[in-house]
Amino acid sequence: MRRLIENRFGLLALVLIAMGALFGVAFVSRPAPVTQARPQAVRAPVESVTAVCPAPAGSRVSVVTPPGAGGPGSATLSAIAAPDAKAADKKAGEDPGEKDAVIDRPGLLWQREIASGGGPLMVDGTGSMAAGLESAQTARETSGAQRGLAGVRCVEPGADTWFVGPGPAAAEMTLYLANPDSAPADITFMVYSGEGPVLSERGNGAVVKPGGHRVIRLRDLAPSPLIMALRVSTRSGRVAAAVKAVLGEGRGADWLPVAAAPATRVVVPGIPGTAGKRELYVAAPGETDTVVRIKAVLEDGSYALKNKETIEVPAGSTASLDLSTGIGGQPAALVLESDVPIVAGLKITGTGARQDVAFTAGADSIDLGSVVADAQATGGKQVSRLVLSAPFAPATVEVRLLPAKGEAPAPVEVKLAAAHTQEIRLTPRGSKDAFSVVVRPLPGSGQVYGGRVLDEATKEGQLVTAQPLAVGRIWALVPPAVDAPGVVLP
Amino acid sequence: MHSVTAIVVAHDGARWLKETLAALPRQTRPLDRVVGVDNGSRDGSAKLLTEAFGSHNVLTMPRSTGFGEAVHEVLRRLPPAPGQEWVWLLHDDCAPDAGALQALLWAADHDPKAAILGPKLRDWLDRRVLLEMGVTVSRSGRRDTGLEPREYDQGQHDEIADVLSVSTAGMLIRRDVWDELSGLDTSLPLFRDDLDLCWRARAAGHRVLNVSDAVAWHAEASARRRRRISTSEEHPRRLDRRNGLFVLMANLPFGAFARSVLRNVFGSALRAVLFLLAKQPANALDEVAALGSVLGHPWRLLRARKARRNGRKQSWPAIRRKLTPPGAALRRLADMVQGFLAGTGPVDSAGRHHAAADTGEEDGDELLTDSGGVQRLLSSPGVVLCLILAAITVAAERTLLPGGLLGGGALVPVTGSAADLWRLYVEDHHAAGLGSGTWAPPYVAVLAGLSALALGKTWLVVGVLLLGCVPLAGFSAYAATKRMIPYTPARVWLAATYALLPVTTGAVAGGRLGTAIVIVLLPVYAALAIRVMAGSSRAAWGFGLLLAVGTAFVPLVYVLVAVLGGLAAVSFGGIRRGVTRSIAIGLGTPIVLLFPWLVQIAQEPGRILLESGLHDPRLSDPRLAAESLLMLSPGGPGVPPVWATAGLVAVALAALLLRRHQMVVAIGWGVMLFGLLVAIVVSRITVHVGGAIGEATGGAVPVWPGVPLAFAATGLLVAAAHPAHRITEFRAARGLRRLGAMLIVVVAFATPLAAAGLWVVRGADGPLRHDVADPVPLLAAVESAPGEGTLLLRARDGEVGYTLLRGRGPLIGESDLEPPGEASARFGAAVAGLASGRGGEYARTLASSGVRFVSVPAPVDPALQRALDSEPALARRSLSEAGGLWRMSGQVTVPPPAASGSALHRGWLWAQGALLVLVLVLASPGARTTDPDGDYTDAPAEEGPRGRRRARDDKGRNDKGRDDRARGDRGREGGRRGRGGEDRGGDDRGREETVPA
Repeated sequence: MRRLIENRFGLLALVLIAMGALFGVAFVSRPAPVTQARPQAVRAPVESVTAVCPAPAGSRVSVVTPPGAGGPGSATLSAIAAPDAKAADKKAGEDPGEKDAVIDRPGLLWQREIASGGGPLMVDGTGSMAAGLESAQTARETSGAQRGLAGVRCVEPGADTWFVGPGPAAAEMTLYLANPDSAPADITFMVYSGEGPVLSERGNGAVVKPGGHRVIRLRDLAPSPLIMALRVSTRSGRVAAAVKAVLGEGRGADWLPVAAAPATRVVVPGIPGTAGKRELYVAAPGETDTVVRIKAVLEDGSYALKNKETIEVPAGSTASLDLSTGIGGQPAALVLESDVPIVAGLKITGTGARQDVAFTAGADSIDLGSVVADAQATGGKQVSRLVLSAPFAPATVEVRLLPAKGEAPAPVEVKLAAAHTQEIRLTPRGSKDAFSVVVRPLPGSGQVYGGRVLDEATKEGQLVTAQPLAVGRIWALVPPAVDAPGVVLP
Repeated sequence: MHSVTAIVVAHDGARWLKETLAALPRQTRPLDRVVGVDNGSRDGSAKLLTEAFGSHNVLTMPRSTGFGEAVHEVLRRLPPAPGQEWVWLLHDDCAPDAGALQALLWAADHDPKAAILGPKLRDWLDRRVLLEMGVTVSRSGRRDTGLEPREYDQGQHDEIADVLSVSTAGMLIRRDVWDELSGLDTSLPLFRDDLDLCWRARAAGHRVLNVSDAVAWHAEASARRRRRISTSEEHPRRLDRRNGLFVLMANLPFGAFARSVLRNVFGSALRAVLFLLAKQPANALDEVAALGSVLGHPWRLLRARKARRNGRKQSWPAIRRKLTPPGAALRRLADMVQGFLAGTGPVDSAGRHHAAADTGEEDGDELLTDSGGVQRLLSSPGVVLCLILAAITVAAERTLLPGGLLGGGALVPVTGSAADLWRLYVEDHHAAGLGSGTWAPPYVAVLAGLSALALGKTWLVVGVLLLGCVPLAGFSAYAATKRMIPYTPARVWLAATYALLPVTTGAVAGGRLGTAIVIVLLPVYAALAIRVMAGSSRAAWGFGLLLAVGTAFVPLVYVLVAVLGGLAAVSFGGIRRGVTRSIAIGLGTPIVLLFPWLVQIAQEPGRILLESGLHDPRLSDPRLAAESLLMLSPGGPGVPPVWATAGLVAVALAALLLRRHQMVVAIGWGVMLFGLLVAIVVSRITVHVGGAIGEATGGAVPVWPGVPLAFAATGLLVAAAHPAHRITEFRAARGLRRLGAMLIVVVAFATPLAAAGLWVVRGADGPLRHDVADPVPLLAAVESAPGEGTLLLRARDGEVGYTLLRGRGPLIGESDLEPPGEASARFGAAVAGLASGRGGEYARTLASSGVRFVSVPAPVDPALQRALDSEPALARRSLSEAGGLWRMSGQVTVPPPAASGSALHRGWLWAQGALLVLVLVLASPGARTTDPDGDYTDAPAEEGPRGRRRARDDKGRNDKGRDDRARGDRGREGGRRGRGGEDRGGDDRGREETVPA
């Protein structure tokens, strides 16, 4: 041993052996690569929902909550007021106003005709009545400038809302604003016309105080656009916004649905298979001109429309394209792709001597399910269709009807092939009662988009209204929350 | 004509008196009268006087009589002589040269205004050493001869000089002037009575001359304490200081007097602190007591000032020129600090008249103590290396140009001042976040202290320590290896390689402040450890203190050092005396200083492996490759490719082939293998901590093996650099050996060069950035009431990380506080609920915890934004590229501050502070244990000049202390070595003796 250490190479050999041993230890103990599982968000029922029906006077208001969530809960339909004022009312011991309706039975559709006169109504659901609470207002006029079916979802207040449709020069456009929150909403409007963004001389802002509401004629903001995209955003606070388009005597009227926020890929679902004109509106609110590629997803597959493969949209403006010859008469969804974020909407015109219009718009996929409150009114004169599309991957969807009274029929499973659209006529067997629809993609499904179309044939012409399926407020994804001081770092 | 009366005052001075008395009759100008006074001598001085002068010319006084009193008594009894009468005052230890009196009188003849004349005083033993040629005083009351220590008299100062004062030893004074001034002030029995008399003489319009042709040899017996003195009970040092101050303050005109009071109050306080630091509490006490004694008797001072009123103001301009220039005080202070750093203790001369040479050994770090100017600094390889490393650092850190806060990786954005950090450390209950009752970790106190030194600028301290880690580490490695590695190029190589290790660049990129500090401290540990091994307990205290600092940041350091220390104690404990004790001090100090915190750490052993700051799994490589570990690369951001350090390992392997120095090489390799083993083990461990994003893996953070690898690298570098001087031998050889030497040099320098190059090319940033925005948006900071918080949300990898900030960004150290368990679980559930957007009471729960704002920094996750927008209780205030901000409407409850005042915590803080001061004092350089006064202690009172022998002795000593001499005149006032403090015991005091000074 001593000789080994005193030898010139002895120490070197010892060290090399030790290094080799350490290398071996390090090599062997090196852990196998672990694929880090992305933390899964937990699905939890929504606990409270507030929605505003913009102008329910003279309309049918439907409110429904899909069954499922247990525990107590109730929904209230009342005139809009700030939460503070409401609390004060309750404190004062006053009865809830006569108009207030309390709905506390999940799984059953509540429907009522609202007398004319009066402002917006607020639907406020908590507890078991909140998970998936959906409400809508539908008006039916058989004469006058407002002739037609005009329906709209009662929307939750938000900070940023987009509408795409005809401009004030083509129709009487009215913007309904309501603020059910306890903080004032400082609102900014931005109109993107066919010629570019419109800067209003009269200012493009408004403040809606808590519990307040306002009606604004868009003609006052921007009189000239024939087509437009409207952005209603708030600098502070939230606002529930809705836009009604009245095209004039004999040309129909309807509400514009809320369009999905600007994205480079927009799906416009829910185009019915009835005959009539179809006009696409696309707006590019950014600062770059773009060419939008259009693909139709039809019953027999998905393809680009001949001669209508693309549409050019100048920066900051809206463009329109008549697609009647491409998708008229077929249930469809449109997939629009662009290099810059775009928003899109579509006008559906009914047939007949006196026309009615309906609007659909870009929508998000209904991953967690969707609820349509007003699928059919009592009496059964109207025809309700569900247009479902799976533009990218095959999907299976469970469709369940929720009647106003009685036993709910068993849910139906609908299989959607990839890049196909399917139209389902909603007819509960043997019942003429009103009902709602719950659409839920089953696990393993691809993205599903859809819309509901309500039409009624009259002698003068078809009455029609449409709405794209919105992501239901049934479930919320609760992300894992970690107390991490490191979040102060970018 | 002149008539001269010589008065010899003796007191226990038989040793010198014989020669003094023999010198009187030899005067070329005979004396007219001689009188001897014996102040109660016990050694036969009275007999000698009687033999010389006859009994009728000798006066016997009591033992407690002072010099001035004795002279007064003589002159009272002595009738005036005819003509111009002069009195020649002589001490028993002052032997005038034969021509002294003649020269003095000659000078007096030529200057009719001259009233007081003094001879040139030389040393009694070393007859050519100058003692005094006139004495002046500084504005702080210090005596100043203006001479270099041990300056030889070569006639370089010879002239008849108009001076402020001359010593009473050999002072020739006109008797009428004496009477006019009423002579020496008897209230100053010892020290400075001469200065006072001369000052008064000058104020009265007379002149004081020093005549260099007159020479006297003076033993300064009482000032050097060659005999007991006790006209006063007090120690001569304090007496001297007090009298100095008293004379100064009594004679200054009012304006100067007021300034002098201020100056001396501050000066004395400062000096007292320095003395305390140098472990000379007796000196500090004397310093303070002297000043107190002067200022504490205002009436006495006023009386004295009143008595000296005449002519004081008129003569001031002339006297002011004679005082020591004001700059000298600063220089003396600088000398004092310098001496303290050099380990020689403050140089001070109070109580000593003689300027002694500094014989202190060459000590410490030449760079620290050397004040030899810019040129000398720049010619030091260490400084040049440091500058080069700084340049490399600047080039590499160009990507870290400041645009905001410094933060990233393990470092929270640096906000707050020293006061904030200090408050965090001392408070019992922290309001940050949801509140916490845990005691702040001790590194907060270290940072607070350093920030206080940087005038409260924490960002500056963190910036210098972290961003300047490379040059600091290089400097520390260069300076610390001075004794280990004598061959300078090897030291430069070692320092450069050490500074550019992958661990260092990794620590910078990862924002690992703790590792950066440990890397700088590690070479210091090594240097101190060598002195600890030699049994130095002062080094052991210092080692313990620095180890405590390192441990506070990176607890693993302690484990590594303790294992090595234990091994060393086993190996060396039996060989050298005191080694075991020193090691115990070094390893025990951190435990004592950090005790409660270490207990916390020990309860969660995983935390030993972590370091201060944030714990982010992305900062370390969970699958660190074996070759990375062997090549000292710790993985994570900012490390160069594996091959960058290959040269270092190769050179260290080559060092094993050398036959000599095998011991050091083997020890170095032993440390390397040990560090490597620890690094391998810890790098395979994941520690579960709260507060890390990465909940998917259970909050597991892989341990970063930076510090063990730095240990390993230190061992390897020493192994490689220690035998490096043999390269020169090889280079001198021919053929293969020469080629081998060249190859080794190339391979060795490849490592630092490659590391520097790669670092500069890639840039120093990693997660660390210098443009981090303040985590609390301005709007939120402005609109929040005190106590209201801002909830910061950031969606990342499918989860939402959150933290609650109360009005300001988190301080360094706040992330290590333990949040309250139940409350934070409830809060976390509420945050998850809010982020899901499902509505409900979550927002109210948050509001009841004091959340006023919810901030989502960019990039804002759309789902999170939707969820927050859908919450009715939240109103959006802004949303832009920079992030979104929501305000909670309605009532926000600020949680009340928790009751504070844990006696235990307060008690511990005081104890910790006291322990820290104690360790600092024990560790700081100060008193020497050797006795430098040896020359005089046993010097026999031999007769006759023995200059040659003394000169020889001195020469030897001078060569040894050449460096100190070169540092300038710090010994001007005389170096008082530590013994001065301890030496003085009770026996010095109580004895009653009177001595002429």
